[in-house]
Parts: sequence; C-alpha cells; structure tokens
Amino acid sequence: MNLISALLIAIGLFFFLGGSIGIIRLPDFYSRLHAAGMLDTMGLFLSMAGLALYVLTDFSFANVLVAIKIMLIVVFVFITSPTATHAIVDAGVRAVREPWTKDKKGGNPI
Amino acid sequence: MKLIGKLTIFLCGTLLIVFANKFPDFGDPHSPAATHLSPYFIEHTMADTSVPNIVTSVLADYRGYDTMFETTVILAAGLACFFLLRLPEEEEKEIYFRHVPTGVTIRIEECGAAPEDSEVFQRIDSQWVPCDIIIRSTSRLLIPFIQIFALYVVAHGHHSPGGGFQGGVVLGAAVILFAISHNLRTTVAKIGEKSAAIMSAAGVFIYAGTGALCLVLGESFLNYGALAPILGTDRVMARSHGILIVEIGVALAVMSVMIWIYYNLSSAGKQDEGL
Repeated sequence: MNLISALLIAIGLFFFLGGSIGIIRLPDFYSRLHAAGMLDTMGLFLSMAGLALYVLTDFSFANVLVAIKIMLIVVFVFITSPTATHAIVDAGVRAVREPWTKDKKGGNPI
Repeated sequence: MKLIGKLTIFLCGTLLIVFANKFPDFGDPHSPAATHLSPYFIEHTMADTSVPNIVTSVLADYRGYDTMFETTVILAAGLACFFLLRLPEEEEKEIYFRHVPTGVTIRIEECGAAPEDSEVFQRIDSQWVPCDIIIRSTSRLLIPFIQIFALYVVAHGHHSPGGGFQGGVVLGAAVILFAISHNLRTTVAKIGEKSAAIMSAAGVFIYAGTGALCLVLGESFLNYGALAPILGTDRVMARSHGILIVEIGVALAVMSVMIWIYYNLSSAGKQDEGL
C-alpha cells in the first residue's frame, strides 16, 4: 500500500515537473497555458490520490474522513483549473494574440 | 523642517540598531517572553477560556484591545480607499446598449428611455468587459462552497487555525469572484457600496460594543466573563462565546472592507464597470 502511494506521488511529481518545463520551454502563450493547465491538474490528482492512499493505510473512520477531504480538493481543482485556463485563453484570443506556427516562427512571445 | 525629519529618522534608526543587538536570540528559552509569558498562556488558556487554540484566545481575549484596533485599521484602510478614489457620479449624456442576439449596438440619447435589467440588451461603455458562460456558471457553482467554507473558518477558529480575519477574507473573495466572473454592475446591484460601508462599520461596532457591554455590566472593557448572565453560561464558557461574537464582528468588517476596496480600485472610483 505504501509502495503504491509512493509510486503515485512520484508519478504526480513527474507530471508537475513536465508542466514546469513546459511553461519555460514552449514557444507561445497558448502552448504554455496548455502545459500549465493540463499537467498541473493531472499531477495534483495523482499526488493527492497517493496521499489519500497513504492516509488510508491506517484504516479508521477519522482517516476515511481525511481521505475524503483530500479527494474533495481534487474535485474542486478539476472544476476550477480548466475554467481558469479557459478564462486566460479567452482573454488571449480577445486580445488577438497570434498562436505560434511552424512556418511563421516567433508568434509574439511574452 | 526637512532636517528635523531626517534627524528623527536617523536617531530612531541608530537606536534600533544599537538595541537590536541586546534582544534575546530567536527562540531563546531563557528570554523573558519564554520564561514568564508563554508558560502562563500555555497553562491557563484552557482553564480560563476553554478554547483549545491558544493563538485564538490570546488574539481575541488576552490581547483583545490590539485586535480591536487592528479591525479599526482595516476600516480605516477601506475609508482611505474611498476618500482617495471615489469620484462623484456623472450624468452620462449618451449610453450604449448592445442587442445580444443580433449584435446591433444602439445609442440612447439623454432623453431616451434605457432598457433596464434585460437579458437581451447589454450595457456597453468604455470599460465594457465580455463575460463568458463557462466562467459564470463555474463561479456560480463554487461560490456557495466558498462561503460555507468561510463560515466554517470563522466558527472553527476556536479549535483550528482560522478566525475572523481569515474567514472574512474568504467571504470577501467569494463576492470578488462573483464580480470578476459577472461584472461590477451586477455585483453592486446585489451588495451596494453603501451596505458594504455600513457593514464594515457594523463589524467594528460589534467588537467595540461587546467590550462596552462588559463595561456596562460592571467589569473591565473586553472582559467577556461579564457576559455570563446574558449568555446563560458560566464565566469560562462566556469568555469562549465572547471570542466567537468578536470574531463574527471581525469577519463582517474584513469582508465588507475587502468588497469596498475592490469596488473602488477596480473601477477607478467610478463604480461603473469593473474588471
């Protein structure tokens, strides 16, 4: 059980790492947001699932409540994080920010 | 005059530097605070106030004066924003509305009748911002949860980290989220500037009034034990309940000051249309 939760947290951290590298390395506004929005949500889900499993190794009513609270965090982040990404992309589109393409290099990086 | 100011600053700075050396080390177990004050609070808090969270009882009971004036400082910050930023309302000569289904923008002159509270017509001005159905419905979904959590933070300050300031900020943030996801005009229609101002003063009034009530009942200011006959409990529980009453006042003041400052800052004092 502990091994599974450690594995889950490690995979979650890997997603976080990918997201951070993506924010720095990707060429323009939209692709950076893609990295930040998708990978953070996934990383949070995996690491929180790992923590919930770790809490549940010592099975009692109080710990089940803690695990439910941890999973509630995930539920709220799953609702809010895509919405926040959507709002920022929406603002970018309305501000006529050109997406990056292969032949028209550069776009307009921030 | 400038010279006197500079001299004062120089003198205060020198004194601070000189005496900073004589302070006890950080976390020194032999410092006066650690040998006299901390043990008293750690040993007596539960017996005095029956509040398990020592920080809350020190903040709102033993050190109640300080927190009362902190709340007053927050009210003063709201007032300062109001006096610095608020502009008198101007009568606009022409206003613009957009007919949403067709995308036609119409101009209404001074004498014309403007459509009010319509789903079909949308008010357009220089600071018009688009609002999006996804963002709107998500924030509508989340705001009740945020508010319930804020009330939990206020009420649970006795047992866990939290209390009036934190809960008030979360409550204010819920309203600000509503203002961002919809627009400022809708929000002002729900919680007006006047009611935000009155509520922020009322929060400070609840705090100071609780203190004054203790004074009326014949004990010292902010000694909540005096409230025992009113609350119908013994003196220890009365102190616990007194802390809760005071926290509610703080939460009210902090929430409405947050909203009030947001109204003034985001619309540059015009209260037309925010972010």
